[in-house]
Amino acid sequence: MAICPVRNTLIYLSDLILSGSLTDPKARRICEQILHLTEEISEGAAGKDHLLAIDSLIREYLTAADSKKNLETGKTLEEMFSGHREVFESHIQTRNCPSHDCGKLAPSPCQMACPAGIDIPTYLTLIARGEDAKAIEVIRRDNPFPWVCGLICTRPCEMMCVRSRIDTPVSIKFLKAFAAERAMSEGAYKNPKKKEWNGKKVCVIGAGPGGLTAAYYLSLLGYGVKIIEALPVSGGMIMVGIPRYRLPREVIDREVALIEDLGVEISYNTRFGRDITYEDLKNEGVDAFFIAIGAHKALDLGIKGEKIFPKVLEAIGFLKDVALGNHHAPGKQVVVIGGGNVAIDAARTALRLGAEKVSIAYRRSKNQMPADSEEVEQAMEEGIEFSFLTIPKEILGKDGTITGLDCIKAELIQKEGSDRLMPVPIPGGDFIIEADVVISAIGQYVDDTGMEAFSQMNWTRRGTIEVNHASMETAMPGVFAAGDAVSGPATVIEAIGSGKRAAEAIDRYLSHIPQPRTPKIPVRHHMEPPVEMTATRKMTLKHPTMPMLNVDRRRTTFQQVELGYDEEGVRKEAGRCLRCDICRRCGKCIEVCRDKMGIDALQFGYMDFDHPTETDFRATEKKCITCGACAANCENKAMVLEEKDGRRNLKLCGTLLNSQAIQYCEACGAFLPSAEYLDFVARKTGDKAKRAETRLLCNDCLRLLSAKTNVETRPAGLK
Amino acid sequence: MSKYYLFQDTRTCIGCHACEIQCKSNKNLPRGAKPCQIIQVGPKMINGLPKMSFIFMPCYHCEDPWCVSTCPTGAMQKRSSDGIVFVDKELCVGCKTCISACPWGAPQWNPETGKVEKCDYCKDRLDAGLKPACVTLCTTGCLTFGLAEDMTQTRRVRHAEASASFENSSF
Repeated sequence: MAICPVRNTLIYLSDLILSGSLTDPKARRICEQILHLTEEISEGAAGKDHLLAIDSLIREYLTAADSKKNLETGKTLEEMFSGHREVFESHIQTRNCPSHDCGKLAPSPCQMACPAGIDIPTYLTLIARGEDAKAIEVIRRDNPFPWVCGLICTRPCEMMCVRSRIDTPVSIKFLKAFAAERAMSEGAYKNPKKKEWNGKKVCVIGAGPGGLTAAYYLSLLGYGVKIIEALPVSGGMIMVGIPRYRLPREVIDREVALIEDLGVEISYNTRFGRDITYEDLKNEGVDAFFIAIGAHKALDLGIKGEKIFPKVLEAIGFLKDVALGNHHAPGKQVVVIGGGNVAIDAARTALRLGAEKVSIAYRRSKNQMPADSEEVEQAMEEGIEFSFLTIPKEILGKDGTITGLDCIKAELIQKEGSDRLMPVPIPGGDFIIEADVVISAIGQYVDDTGMEAFSQMNWTRRGTIEVNHASMETAMPGVFAAGDAVSGPATVIEAIGSGKRAAEAIDRYLSHIPQPRTPKIPVRHHMEPPVEMTATRKMTLKHPTMPMLNVDRRRTTFQQVELGYDEEGVRKEAGRCLRCDICRRCGKCIEVCRDKMGIDALQFGYMDFDHPTETDFRATEKKCITCGACAANCENKAMVLEEKDGRRNLKLCGTLLNSQAIQYCEACGAFLPSAEYLDFVARKTGDKAKRAETRLLCNDCLRLLSAKTNVETRPAGLK
Repeated sequence: MSKYYLFQDTRTCIGCHACEIQCKSNKNLPRGAKPCQIIQVGPKMINGLPKMSFIFMPCYHCEDPWCVSTCPTGAMQKRSSDGIVFVDKELCVGCKTCISACPWGAPQWNPETGKVEKCDYCKDRLDAGLKPACVTLCTTGCLTFGLAEDMTQTRRVRHAEASASFENSSF
């Protein structure tokens, strides 16, 4: 990939100035001013007038150019700024450099990993400081469901968390839920101010996470939003797919209520194409449609007996029934087929409804399960039995009643061209799992009934809606789609991310602005100063353990299983964040300290992505002389050397690595380096340095002193 | 020592600081860093009259410079061809040990680049056949620069002229 045009312009300008070829003082001044403004663009400190100011400086340069060479330079500059106008503009607006060339603007790995692009380091810092409502405000810029996601997100962010290279990842997911709960309880969880109604209407089909997210951002932008929902409740899969012991209904209700407060109208029990038609909505004045119908239809098992017995259930339908109030146990002995989160949810739900024995039959082994490992562990604790390497063959029974599931034992074989191990039946490995209910949880697909009205829309071979992923636009103008309906069964956070993208695209469509060609990179809204603490505290803060409901209650009721960290645990946990939005882990500090200075005080093994070695922030003070070379070479100002209260303090993203006493100039009192530092210098100069002057003096006083000596020793007779 | 000699005639210097400005603009330096500096000594009452001197303080380009031996990165070097002591910016990491080591306060800190600046007699200009920036635009012409062997002549002439001064001599 080519270097970022902003960075490129910076290099061009500084080389130009340094080369000394700008002999005309005016040309030089203008170039220096342009360089300064470009630096601010590259650092994310620019405002909307920066480019205008640069334009007029270039015009001034061209008018003043008196030589052919100057004229050419001016033309080159003009091309640089006009040729990549949109890149400069995006640096100013998003404070973001997609190619990561402008170091200070790169988002952290966790933010890049989040499908909704939440500014994680910022909200963690706010939570560490106890500013929960502000944290929620930051999260809701990218995700209107901090509470829901705080309880059930699949947390791709934690997978990328750099802290895991030191010990364990920061518990990014749950901290959101704590902040949301606290802010909600204090009445500080509020909607941002929305724009005045702009006279346009958008219809959202489906009140799931994707639809609600788009509705939230659209109504903030001033659109009138109407949601059509087939179910009697809002939330989609988070309401009818995720069981209550993981996500209490009140959490969804409160966050949906905030979206309704913005004036979003939700029509329940209204199925698009049956209860209301495309024409009806067009007549109501709808300008754009957003399809977020999810993937609510279960795949068939395709085995014998599946269609004969009424007690062969599909997990999605079963969970929906339970969520809508049917709390009858499906049977006494339940077998769930599948290895994803839905299978685990169905099994744990069946157990809570009173099934005596619940087991999960999965084709591969535990390590290959797509379900969250925590979910699997919790299910095991609750007494769910697992039958791995089990391929269902036939559902057995008579007179409409199931008696068991005939299975074959499998072994895992590596097949060419596939990165997943394939289960292959072992001949003669038949066995029967006794059961009176079989629940299949092997995947879902998009139910396209009622979608005929969107005739120009294309469907993929997988039965999902085809869209441009940058804008979530379908082939039909004014019709957008996102969530599971586009991706196939995926995660809540992906639906939220794509819903947000769709809202932006709908806004562009209705404002007649062309759509972006590539998806937007996460935006860093601002940079919070890091939380200050000692190296020892940063290293010894430990990931708290999640307090759980006791197992008996977990086996019998739908009460929330994970009880949440206490406040102290939350604040401490948030303080473990390494602030990767400030420190990019380029390792320059380590290199300078070890290879250039020969001191090797920085033991930051986690900074090496490929070969992480041991990290210990506490080790710095053993060797560090607070020379500040690391800080002078840190382009993001993550490493800072500050002089405060008589101490020279070295800090990395707020973590105090070393602190040494400042010495003072014995003549003027100016700050001098620490004794450790002067020792280092003395060792280097060795016996050469036998000074006449034994006082400790600063640079300026040394010059003054030698100037005086110069006058005093001047030969006599001169005036 | 370097093979050059930079001579300041303190009798003619009026302390206009033009040398400092030339030096800084030639090296494009921000506030603070002054590779050469005019230090005012005095005023002192001498024979009932207030007198002061302006002393030009560049780097002395020592024979065995402490800044060079203390530099951990090898950025501070002595040019073998003519003995000029200079900083290689590519190698400087901004540890400031040279600043602490120098007894004359010659190495200067550039807060914008985070590296050290110092007088190198404008070696790039010398190589191009020019004089150091400070010398070039000295208002009173009190700064002269040349090979050390030629500069003794300047000093001698100056001293001879002073000794033969009419109002201050036996004539």
